[in-house]
Amino acid sequence: MSAIAKLSTTSRMSRRAAISLVLALALVAMAVLVNKTPLGEHTWLRVLFGISALNFTLRATVPLVLGALSGILCERSGIINIGIEGMMLAGAFAGFVAKTSTNHWPLTVSLIFSVAVAVAVGGLMGAVHALFSIRFRMDQIISGTVIIILALGASSYLYNRDAIAEGKFSSIPVPGLSQIDVIGPVLFDNPPITYLALILVLVVHVALFYTRWGLRTRAVGEHPRAADSVGINVNRYRYVNTSLGGMLAGLAGAFLVLEAVGQFQEGMTAGRGFISLAAMIFGNWNPFGALGAAALFGYTQALQNELLLAGVTQVPRQFISMLPYVVTIVAVSGLVGRVRPPAAEGKVYETEGSA
Amino acid sequence: MNSSRLITLFTILTALALVLAACPAPAAMPAADADSSAATDDGMAGEFKVGLVTDVGRVNDRSFNQSAWEGVVAAAEGLGLAEDDFKYIETQDAKDYADNIQQFIDADYNVIVSVGFALADATNTAAKDNPDVFFIGIDQFQGETLPNVAGLIFNEDHSGYLAGVLAGSLSQSGTIAAVLGTDLVPPVVAFNEGYIAGAKSVNPDINVISTYHPGEISQAFVDPEWGAATAKQALDQGADVIFGAGGITGNGALQEIATAEGAGETVFCIGVDTDQWNTVPAAHPCLVSSAMKLITPGVVDLVNLASEGAFPGGNYFGDADLAPFHDFDDMVPQELKDLLEETKAGLIDGSIDTGYGN
Repeated sequence: MSAIAKLSTTSRMSRRAAISLVLALALVAMAVLVNKTPLGEHTWLRVLFGISALNFTLRATVPLVLGALSGILCERSGIINIGIEGMMLAGAFAGFVAKTSTNHWPLTVSLIFSVAVAVAVGGLMGAVHALFSIRFRMDQIISGTVIIILALGASSYLYNRDAIAEGKFSSIPVPGLSQIDVIGPVLFDNPPITYLALILVLVVHVALFYTRWGLRTRAVGEHPRAADSVGINVNRYRYVNTSLGGMLAGLAGAFLVLEAVGQFQEGMTAGRGFISLAAMIFGNWNPFGALGAAALFGYTQALQNELLLAGVTQVPRQFISMLPYVVTIVAVSGLVGRVRPPAAEGKVYETEGSA
Repeated sequence: MNSSRLITLFTILTALALVLAACPAPAAMPAADADSSAATDDGMAGEFKVGLVTDVGRVNDRSFNQSAWEGVVAAAEGLGLAEDDFKYIETQDAKDYADNIQQFIDADYNVIVSVGFALADATNTAAKDNPDVFFIGIDQFQGETLPNVAGLIFNEDHSGYLAGVLAGSLSQSGTIAAVLGTDLVPPVVAFNEGYIAGAKSVNPDINVISTYHPGEISQAFVDPEWGAATAKQALDQGADVIFGAGGITGNGALQEIATAEGAGETVFCIGVDTDQWNTVPAAHPCLVSSAMKLITPGVVDLVNLASEGAFPGGNYFGDADLAPFHDFDDMVPQELKDLLEETKAGLIDGSIDTGYGN
């Protein structure tokens, strides 16, 4: 069963993957050309491929891809997670509280501690979602909504405006690699959570498709009855995966507070959890697909800002501001083609004979 | 079965979620040394009493409220007022503006300071009903002139111009940037236009890249993530001095630059409104100065004028200036300090025109 499922997934993915790879290589080639040759004198090309555009893209991509990975972990095991936004926000707030209460610690220690707290609280939110969905057989969409409302309400209620987080992660250049032209400053001169997010894409991919745990997770998400019949504890997998997913969303929140901004803001996730969901769907519930989709959404945000900064167009600002949203809608509704969610997604699993 | 207990727990959690979400974010904890009744229970009836109503937030907000209150305290000490004759009320909720002002009126206060553009309506309504009380409205532009209301407003283009002169002089790369709140708010545009004009006055070839937040007015000042990302983008494009002007959005930009490579050595940032050395400690590594609105001296002047019976109704322009350089004092050459002093004098006497509003 699982072998067939895997085969069909990979064959469907291969064309997509090939196209994405070609696009990515073309982008790198253009970026090198624009930043290293006289082509860079064209303002439009600089807007599209300049180092600042690529850096902005990566930065906007990180929370989206972490959110999408969170969604993938949950949904591959059959639990719909629309609460990513709430888990992210809870993580962000927890990270902020941890940072402000450890301001007097050495900066690095305090930051790492705060990330750990953010991840733990994100995981806790994931566990609550799993509890609602599995133990109480609650509609998973509603449970996700409760998570969002709970995080938004609790974080605004408890937020102390006088609290100041002192310091955030600075970039750590990778020795050697960061010296490479164009690619170095974009990929190898980043703060730690950015590296971590990129590594996690690979880790989740390998874990899902090449380990026993991944095989069982996918089986639980596709056909829980079959999984159960060979002795897999379906609900235990769902609890674990949803909690892990929550931890990734918490890490996305930590990125916002401890790496991107250095301060908390009410509702600061600003819909990133929902865009993550779109990235997850657009990426067909695959980690690398999600990375590609998140990068596309990040790129449109970068483009929006580059256009505004360069002032090269007379198009009213409001239309430029629509760019990320229009691309999201087009991508999810049209471009995406056929995607297939895990078959058992959103369905409560009860062992045979249980009431 | 304990599942009914769990269901109860779940129900409580859900209800809690809804209740918390419905709670308005509390404006501030009640201050220990003042509450809403403070204005009414003073025993001594003095000759001259000054009250201040904050915008939503605390009086020690290291921003407008605090600057205005420091002005009241300084003026009161100058006039030798008794301890009980100057008080503040911290507004907890926007719907209480009028009530808070009314408390001071009922307690026979002579001068009432209301802080922030949001209190303009409540202030003017109270002023019409109470022609004997003087009102000082900070950041409240007066469309019609009432004899007992002075709107303390600022030439933002002047302080932007000073920031531009500073940025243009400090820049080695020939590119400077501004990360701004929305152009839907005129003072932000004034800051930016002044900034560009100031930079061009010291280096006509300078490249100024300035961006307004692309979103709505409701997000434009509270989006530090955008501010930070945009500041990084400007750095990537070669900018080495960046002016962050847009509330929390601008603060995000300052904090980003503070963690950038070369912060405080080759890369600098400039804050806005108040001395942001005090408001954003995380920006210390790069913060050379801030383009300030001098609220404190403006309030002192107006309170004094009121006590002398020479209260000027209508718009009253406060001074614009740069904040102290703090740790960067040694890095700013004396010639530049002199140039900034000259520029400031020129802006005040009108010999320098920022070009804003022409």
